[in-house]
Amino acid sequence: MNEAGKYRILVVDDEASVLLTYRLILEQQGYSVAACRTSREAIQAVEKEAFDLLLCDYSLEEQHTGFEVITAARNRDAVVPAALLTGYATLETVDEAKLNNIGVMFKPIEIEEFLATTANLLRRNNEPKQESNGEKGASPQSAAEGGEHRDGRARRRVPSGPVKS
Amino acid sequence: MATAEVRFQPERITGRRPGTERRPAVLRLLEAERSEEIFPLLLEEIIALGFPRALAVDVNFDSGEITPAAALKWPRHQVEKFSGGLWMSDNQLVSVFHSIRPAVLNKTSFHSKPIYIHPILYANRNLCWEADRIRTSSCLALQNFRREKKVRLEEQVCSTCDMRAYAAALIVEVPRQVSTQAINELGELIELANRYLSRLFKVEHYYNRMRDMEITIAQMGTVMQSMADPVILTDTQHRVIMQNKAAERFFKVPDEMTEGLVRAVELNNLLFSAALSSMLVSGSDSHRDLTLVDAIEGEEMLFEAVSAPTYGPDGIQVGTVTVMRDVTDLRRADQELRSNYDKLREAEEVVRQDRDRLNLIIENVGDPIVVCDREARIVLVDPLAQELFGDPSELPRTAVQFRNQTQLTAYISNFTYSFTERETSPIRLYSPAARQEIEYDARSGKIFDEAGQVSYTVTVLRDLTALRRVEQLKVERRMLEIEKFAATGRLAATIAHEVNNPMEAIKNAIYLLAGFMPETASPVYNILKSETERVARIVRQMLGLYRSTEQVKPVNVNVIIEDTLLLLNRQLQRANIEVKSDLGVLPDAVIAADQMRQVLSNLVINAKDAMPEGGKLIIRSKHLPNPDGVHGWIRILIADTGTGIPPEMTRSIFEPFVTTKGEKGTGLGLWIVKGIIQNHGGKLSVKSQLGRGTAFKIDLPVAKL
Repeated sequence: MNEAGKYRILVVDDEASVLLTYRLILEQQGYSVAACRTSREAIQAVEKEAFDLLLCDYSLEEQHTGFEVITAARNRDAVVPAALLTGYATLETVDEAKLNNIGVMFKPIEIEEFLATTANLLRRNNEPKQESNGEKGASPQSAAEGGEHRDGRARRRVPSGPVKS
Repeated sequence: MATAEVRFQPERITGRRPGTERRPAVLRLLEAERSEEIFPLLLEEIIALGFPRALAVDVNFDSGEITPAAALKWPRHQVEKFSGGLWMSDNQLVSVFHSIRPAVLNKTSFHSKPIYIHPILYANRNLCWEADRIRTSSCLALQNFRREKKVRLEEQVCSTCDMRAYAAALIVEVPRQVSTQAINELGELIELANRYLSRLFKVEHYYNRMRDMEITIAQMGTVMQSMADPVILTDTQHRVIMQNKAAERFFKVPDEMTEGLVRAVELNNLLFSAALSSMLVSGSDSHRDLTLVDAIEGEEMLFEAVSAPTYGPDGIQVGTVTVMRDVTDLRRADQELRSNYDKLREAEEVVRQDRDRLNLIIENVGDPIVVCDREARIVLVDPLAQELFGDPSELPRTAVQFRNQTQLTAYISNFTYSFTERETSPIRLYSPAARQEIEYDARSGKIFDEAGQVSYTVTVLRDLTALRRVEQLKVERRMLEIEKFAATGRLAATIAHEVNNPMEAIKNAIYLLAGFMPETASPVYNILKSETERVARIVRQMLGLYRSTEQVKPVNVNVIIEDTLLLLNRQLQRANIEVKSDLGVLPDAVIAADQMRQVLSNLVINAKDAMPEGGKLIIRSKHLPNPDGVHGWIRILIADTGTGIPPEMTRSIFEPFVTTKGEKGTGLGLWIVKGIIQNHGGKLSVKSQLGRGTAFKIDLPVAKL
């Protein structure tokens, strides 16, 4: 999270147009977004700062993959949430992602699903932290609602429906 | 014969009763109680008449010899002169014998003084009793008496009583001028003595016969007693006259009487009497089965009784003799034999039917059939096999037959000594009809004997040429189809992949533009949005086929069907579709569940789309096991009562981008379904009728472990 209280997200995709639209959509939702076209750029970025979420295309330039970026980021923060965005993935790739607690989204991605998953990954990782700060003894549900209120702008715009269904 | 026992005893006779007063000769001769006593008495009477000496000779009919039997006052050395034989034709004595008439011989070689010779022969004035009773006149004694025919000494045996006669002669020395009266007196005396002798002789004959009969009876009795079978002699009233030991066991009240024994004996007697009565009614010489109770063992025994009437000498029936044979074991054996025979007949009938049926089958199989023995020698061939191997009763005649036989023998020997009961194996034989080597499918079975050894092998040879050709064609066509499908798939995937990224950007861009579009541009924007979404859908489906995100594992297909129906339940209800599912018991199929879910939901949604007015959706599943009991198929049927597929389209509906739904469809659903089913080694087919509905049939291979 940056100084403005926004979640900081890194998006990596070798297609410039795709990368740009992802960034714009996420920024529209109130996230702070860093966008990288190559794994080298992305790895430099994760080494420089901490992100709240990594969204990486699986196949990057040359033979590089999104796993490399995520691995680099997790050297800094072992529990940083991450998801692979891919058009085609082998069974092995999906298994590896699951094993490393990395989400997988298949392109073409419904934008509602994209945003819901993003919000979900962020919340899953940050909720316990907020619960320890907030009202004690509250039910997980009320804690989630309370957290949403306190998160302010970024959180309020996340549609919660698709996540629950 | 009594005559043979007459002995020469001159001393005893000469010393007989000295000093007693002489009584008349008749009375003195009557004192003789035995035939041998006659001659000595007669000789005494002759001397008493005043003749100096006398002797008696008799004839042994067996040897024909004439020997002195008794003599009185005749010197012993002279007596011997009267010995001779009937065959001596020039003997004066013999001549007199043959003439059977008394004669006085003045000069003979036997004696210096004249002698009177009086031959005597067994003779009676009346018929003997036996001849009298059977009313015949052929009595030797009477014949001799009457001199009806010429008496022949060689034939002195009575034809009625079987008695052998005697012949003898009295020889008396007479003075040179003997008076006729003296001779007559002498002759009468001798004839009188002969009559007594004949009677005694006859009595003695009866006595001897009685003794013979007693011996015979005793012998017969022994024979009867020693018979193991019961023999019973009964009178005309069925009263037991005589029975042997074997019969006593059944019919005689035993010494130690118990009620059971007595009752058994009584019962046996009753049964026997009844059997006798019925036998007598049915015929003179009959047999009948008779069950008796063994009084000692208490067992029932089966007898075969044979009865024959016994007749008295006068030809009147006096009783019945019954011989019973124990046939208990015999009958039992007979019964067993009979039942075995029946069984055999039945078995034979079964075998005959089997053979007929088999022959019918063999004639109709249309494939060569060969039967070999345990040495792999051909014993039987049908006409088709005979073309290949020749006549089994002859040696192979052609090189082809020899070669084929060698091939077959090698295969059959192998099979015969293998542990399998059945075997199917390819065998290459030269077919004279096709003029080439042909691959046959040899299917062989074993026939075992009772000991479990192979006795025969039966082999049916199937010509695989045609089958192979069709199979190959099928495989080729299928390979081609799969290859075509795969190529299309790869191409589609490549295109989809390439389209994917630009489309992702377009889609995102459209989303971002949402808030900035002027009101007037809104319709255009909507087209842009919906068409992009459609492209995204197409790409998603295309790529979906290649996203195998799940491992295959054993799953019950019914569960997937039920899940799918549950998921789509609301959609189907809204479309007014009645779901009829009929799910059979299925073994687990090793499949990727999510892919199968996609298959089912694609087909169900297709069915729903085909029934815009509502209708029926039928889903059935069932297990089709293979005869081997291990492999099999799961068949899923998904049918609707919808609009149906135009016939010209049924062939192409599984190809990509073919749709009957116009703008609404991507044309990829069935293509994906087919891909998934093929990846699972399954089969997919469709039947459709315009206006009636469509049915998809999926067969998935399963193996029961």
